[in-house]
Order: sequence, then C-alpha cells, then structure tokens
Amino acid sequence: MRRPAWLWALALAAYAFLYAPLLVVVVYSFNDSTMNAQWIGFTLDWYRKLFRNEEMLTAAWNSLLIGVVSSAVATVLGTMAGYAMYRFRLRLLPLMVVAPIAIPEILMGVSLLIFFVMIDLTLGMVSIMLAHIAFCIGFVAIVVRARLAGLDDSLTEAARDLGATPWQAFRLVTLPLIMPGVVAGALMAFTLSIDDFVITFFTAGPDSKTLPLVIYTMVKITVTPEVNAVSTLLMLVTLALILIASRLSPGSLKAR
Amino acid sequence: MRRLLFLLLLVAAWPAVAREDALHLYNWNQYIAPETVERFEKACKCKVKQSYYSDNSELMAKVTGGAKGYDIYVPTSNYIPDLAKGGYLQPLDKARIPNLKNILPQYLNTEFDPGNRYSVPYAYTVTMLGYNEQKMKELGITVDSWAAIFDPGILEKIKGRVTVLDSPDELMAAALKYHGYSVNDRDPRHWEQAKKTIIAAKKYWAAFKASGYIELLASGDIWLAHGYSNDIFQADLGAQDAKKKFRIRHALPKEGAVLALDAMVIAKTAPRPDLAHQFIDFMLDGRNSADLTNMIGSGNPNREAMKHIKPEIKAMSAIFPDEQTAKKLEMLKALNTKERRLQNRIWTEIKAK
Repeated sequence: MRRPAWLWALALAAYAFLYAPLLVVVVYSFNDSTMNAQWIGFTLDWYRKLFRNEEMLTAAWNSLLIGVVSSAVATVLGTMAGYAMYRFRLRLLPLMVVAPIAIPEILMGVSLLIFFVMIDLTLGMVSIMLAHIAFCIGFVAIVVRARLAGLDDSLTEAARDLGATPWQAFRLVTLPLIMPGVVAGALMAFTLSIDDFVITFFTAGPDSKTLPLVIYTMVKITVTPEVNAVSTLLMLVTLALILIASRLSPGSLKAR
Repeated sequence: MRRLLFLLLLVAAWPAVAREDALHLYNWNQYIAPETVERFEKACKCKVKQSYYSDNSELMAKVTGGAKGYDIYVPTSNYIPDLAKGGYLQPLDKARIPNLKNILPQYLNTEFDPGNRYSVPYAYTVTMLGYNEQKMKELGITVDSWAAIFDPGILEKIKGRVTVLDSPDELMAAALKYHGYSVNDRDPRHWEQAKKTIIAAKKYWAAFKASGYIELLASGDIWLAHGYSNDIFQADLGAQDAKKKFRIRHALPKEGAVLALDAMVIAKTAPRPDLAHQFIDFMLDGRNSADLTNMIGSGNPNREAMKHIKPEIKAMSAIFPDEQTAKKLEMLKALNTKERRLQNRIWTEIKAK
C-alpha cells in the first residue's frame, strides 16, 4: 500500500519538532558565548573546559555506571518477572511489577529515601542503583511479557518433547526468541536510568552526583554551553550504545 | 581462585581509599567561587565535596527525609526555624567562629534565628526589576517603581516584553508593596487587592518565569523582568558578552522590596563538625566572602568584604542600597498552613484567569 504524501509530511514535521531542540543543543555547544542567548561564533572552548571540569566528568561517569549496572540487573530480574507473569497465573506479581510505573515518581523517591534511611543504608551509588533497578524492572517485565504473548507455545513444548530440561528449553529456545524484547527492555531501562532526576535526587548521597542532578541545579542560574557540550557527548555515547545493542541483536530494533 | 582473592582484597581496601578528609557542602549551584573552594582546600588540607539543590523546598524534602552525610546547608533564613525546630541543626560553637564580627549588625539576630544560635549570614539577594536601558529610554519609561510591572498605563507600551517571577510569595509581595503594605501583610482584603492588581496586569506579561529570564533579558527579547538582583547582574554580563548595544540595569522600586538572606547552618548529623566550623569562619573572611559577590553580583552582609569587591559592583546602589533604601527592604516570613492554603487558592485564580 502506498502511503499518502501528507502522511510523510506529517511524520517529517513531527520528527523535526522532536529533534530540532537536540540539534540546537549540539550547535550551541560550539557557541563562543557564556549564554545561550545568541550565536556569536564557533569555538571548541566548552569542550576544553569540560574536560578540565572534574565535577561534570565525575557526574557523567556516575550516570553511565549507574545506567549500565542498573539496566543490566533490571533486565535479568525484569525478564524473569515477565516470564513468570506469562507462564503462571499470578495475581500479586503483576501488581507489584506495575506499581513502580504507575506511582508518581516523587512519591517513590521520598519513600525510597525514608526506607534507605530506615535500614541504615548509606546514600550513594548503591542506593541510586537499587532505586533505578526497582523502577526499571516493571518496564522490562512488560516488554518481555508482551513479546512472550506473541510466541508460539508449541516451540517450547517441542523442545521439551525432544528431551530438553525446562532450563535448556528456556535458554536454547524461548530466550533467543524473546531476545528482541529483552534488548528493547534493557535499552529502555538504560535510558530511563540515565534520564531520571526525581528519584535520583532523593536517593543520592553527598558523594554521588549524576548528570541530571548537576544540570538541573545549573538551569536555575543559566545554562552555560558547557552543559550543551556534556549533553552532546552523552547523546553520542547513548547513540553508540544503541548501535552496539542493535548489532548484537539485529532483529531487536526492527519492527515486526 | 586467585582472581576471587584479588577481588576480596579490593573490597577490603575500598573504605581506606574512600576515607579522606572531606567537607560535604550542600549548596545552591554556582553559589561559591571556584577559587574560594581551592583556597579552603589548601587551608584545611581536605576536599570540598558539593551537592546542589535548586530550591529551598528540595533541601527541606531531602533533609526532613533523613538524608545524612552533609556538613553544611545554605538555606534561606525563613526556612531556618523549621529546620531548627525539627532538630536537624546543631548549635554553633561561636568560639570557633571569630570572624563573625565581620557581619554587619543589621543581618544578625534576625527573628528567624535569635542570637544566631544556628546560622551565620552568607549572602543576600533583593527581588527587584531588571530592564533594558536603551528600550526604556526610547519609550520614555522611568523604572523606579513596581508600577512598571503593575500599571496598565505603562504596560501598554511594553506589552509582551515583560516577565514576572513564577512564585506566589514573590509576586504577591511585590503587589503588596505596590499598594504600600508590608510584604508580610496578612490582611485578606489587602491580598484580594493585590490579586486584582496582578490579574489586571497579567495580560500584558509575556510569561511567569522563575529562571530563563536571564537569557531573555540578555538577548533583548524581554525588556523588563521581575527578578533577583544577582540574576539581573548575570543578564547584564550576558548582554555585554554578546556585544549587545544595550545594558541591563537594576531598579530597586522606591516602595521597597523583598530581601532574601541565605545563611550557613551545620547539620545535626554532620560527619565533620570541626571542618564545618572552620569553613564557616573561612567564609566570613572578607576576601573569601567578596569572591562570590564579584562572581555573581550577590548582596554581601560582610563589612570586611567591601574592601575586596570590584568598584563597579560596589557602586551599584541596587545591590548595595544606602541606609535609607535598606530600611524599606523586608525578609519574607513563613506562612502558616491556613495562609498558605489561601495563597494557593489566590495563585490558582491568578494562573487560571
């Protein structure tokens, strides 16, 4: 079926609307001015400054580390939850898994803070990771479950008939088939973790800044092009990770 | 097996690596000059580790939630009573803060902390008007009164080129001052009057903006903004940086305005009260205190700092008002629950109309 021209135009306009601000951030990271008010001239100064700004670099590194670790753990646990939700008739689990998605972030942040203080866990990288894992599991589980729903059960049954143990059947048949869903869930968890401000704010300790935390408090004064520079770099890193992920599992990012 | 041993060793060594002398400062962003931090690190042979908040309520949420590990907070004065009452602060040992004598007496012993049991003034901002000098001259508008953002007669000429702060406290205070009342006036009839004034002026404003008006002023998109003194200072720096033909000027309305005094306090759970006291005394030194004013144009309550402040900033009467004007400045007091609810309702009406 041929798609009408107006639909193409609409799609293009929508994407332009979504990506133009990102482009502005990239362009202004080369602006020779202390403010984003106006384009003055080209400079690489902000990148030079950034690489000497220990604080920003630490924050960027923290963000990446938290993103990688929490999305990895959340993917494993989320996949398990998604599989359990599909395989067995459970009442409580789906509720528990979906709750962090539905609960307002601020509520989750405050309650996690109070909980961590209660169990006497020092706030820091570990508490942020735990919090991120907690709210990412739900997203992974839902994606994985949706993928399982579209699967033909007879494939697993055939594997079992041919003598595979339940674990072998899962590892050699089911898992490869739902891999696109798992990778999509992992990417989603990673992006959510990198982006999150509210929950991170409450669970961060004195020695654990992430990029969103630093940028958010800077915005109140003025956004210096240094923020643009670090955002541009982070965009590149995220993009690279997505590309690598799509290479590792070619089917996962293609529409089906 | 060997790898496992190595890992175990690494884990065992971790705390030793992480444990170094450090002061944990929980502060607003860009609220201390980098050179001041460097100087203190040299003086105390420790590291300064900063975390940030962008609003007093963020700080309150975090602290009252039980977050530990910070030595010093820098809240605005009117939040100190709640922090003190909740048991989140420790009393200062004044013997360890000899430089306290540098603070001007009018900023000490405020009703927010009688006798300065818990807090020491850090810096202040005044909420005022910032304007595009060239445009105002062209239009023949003198900006010296709150009328500039409330009087429809004046606003007619600058429609869509004005922003006001997106803060019920600040905007109500400005409107109350415009009518000649105190910023802490609690009379509901006066609040009603202020509300009507705001609603009548609203259609001439471009936006309610708590941040971002700095860029708009600097780029020339906005000609007049209700904002904080140090933000207006930054806007002027931005305009000069962008080689604009105009300058952004401060105007302290003749009716008076809000003064917000930020203060240093030591957390009850501070891991290093010794370093915290040392830091407070260090910040009260004239030169260290002046660094911040030179960097962001904040008001300075420190007598000794005046010697080190750049002459062009010292000369700005809006940042360093004379005694006569200073008397018209007021600090906002916290509202009680009932007043807060009424204010919320008024604010909703303002935003909805």
